[in-house]
Amino acid sequence: MDLSVLDRLKWLQQQQMVSPEFLQILGSDGREELKRVESYLGNNNDELQSFRHFPEFGPDYDTTDGCISRTSSFQMEPVKNSGHSRAISLQNKRKPEGKTEKREKKKIKAEDETESSMKGKTNMSNTETSSEIQKPDYIHVRARRGEATDRHSLAERARREKISKKMKCLQDIVPGCNKVTGKAGMLDEIINYVQSLQQQVEFLSMKLSVINPELECHIDDLSAKQFQAYFTGLPEADSKQSIMADFRSFPLHQQGSIDYSVMNGTKDQTSSSWETHSQCIYNSLRTDSVTNFFSLK
Amino acid sequence: MERQIINKKKRVFSLEPNKNPSAVFTRKYTSHLVPALKKLNMNKNSSKQTVKHEVDMALALSAQEFAWSRFLLQKLSSSTNPTTTTSSSDGIRILERSDKEGGNKEGEIEEKLRELQKLLPGGEEMNVEEMLSEIGNYIKCLELQTIALKSIVQDST
Repeated sequence: MDLSVLDRLKWLQQQQMVSPEFLQILGSDGREELKRVESYLGNNNDELQSFRHFPEFGPDYDTTDGCISRTSSFQMEPVKNSGHSRAISLQNKRKPEGKTEKREKKKIKAEDETESSMKGKTNMSNTETSSEIQKPDYIHVRARRGEATDRHSLAERARREKISKKMKCLQDIVPGCNKVTGKAGMLDEIINYVQSLQQQVEFLSMKLSVINPELECHIDDLSAKQFQAYFTGLPEADSKQSIMADFRSFPLHQQGSIDYSVMNGTKDQTSSSWETHSQCIYNSLRTDSVTNFFSLK
Repeated sequence: MERQIINKKKRVFSLEPNKNPSAVFTRKYTSHLVPALKKLNMNKNSSKQTVKHEVDMALALSAQEFAWSRFLLQKLSSSTNPTTTTSSSDGIRILERSDKEGGNKEGEIEEKLRELQKLLPGGEEMNVEEMLSEIGNYIKCLELQTIALKSIVQDST
């Protein structure tokens, strides 16, 4: 296919030499354009796996390499003075994979509009069109099969994918999100989790305020020592055990029987996952006592 | 004694333990909070709200690389009686939400995103993408904060 297309291009070039009216229609820079085309092709010959060309009209179905893909490109037309009829006929590198491959860039030009305007032009016959090739700095997106190709939906799609990527990251952070599917459920989980964390903080600070007067004596003992040991995964089973016991005996704000059980469940999970989170950065090994300890609930 | 030896063998340290972000945050947090609590103790007019204020302040100061900490600092410095991040009304809201039957699917998700924005300090000023990434590290910092608070409480009882 490549060869045939290139041959066609060369043939057209030859044709151009022959037909002066073609040149007129193109404008004075037509020849330059063709030269540019050739140089482009010469450089990137190996890269291009297929080279789409007119005389197809409208959205084309390319059957090369056994895959059908619809891209938002369109045929070539003569140059208008306004310049808005310039079009990109050269397809970018395309993998001969299935129909649902996708690229990340976005075409800024609204190609569909120009496409329809070009359909109306009947000046050129199929064989006498030439290629005007531009290489603007656009971002290119491949529309998947069956999807719209206008600018707005492409932008929407890119945005939506960014958001879903972030939701996936959040899924790893918030424990218990793996079981729920769908955005709404996950968002529910996340909201609940954040609220429960905030309530814990509030409760702890209340507790802290109650025992604050006694703090002075003990607070120097508390330290860095505890946290370091914690983070390096030493099985200080005693201290950790006390933390766990304290944790479970929280008289939580009781909002209602339903939520209480839910929160209690998630809390047990959260504490273990926090442990794993902080430990796994340091430690690939975990001692048996620790794992046993956290497995009993 | 033997056990310690065995444990030592199993211990694995990273090369730069001080750079572990969780440890860094926790260290900063306690170094902010503990002196503040001591100072509160001195003044003898500590109320529940002031402790909460200190707690939030320590959180905001230890996480200054994030956008939400800026907003939290603003909130704390602007109000003498800081608004609590949660209240009993939130609890009621959770129940309401679960009772409501979902109508429009897209509308539900939008609503939930808005609620999430309310939870995050400064969330309402961000757009959705930013907010989602900020929520991630906010959650992490909240977790570390609770661990730190727990061990402070634990140690002093």
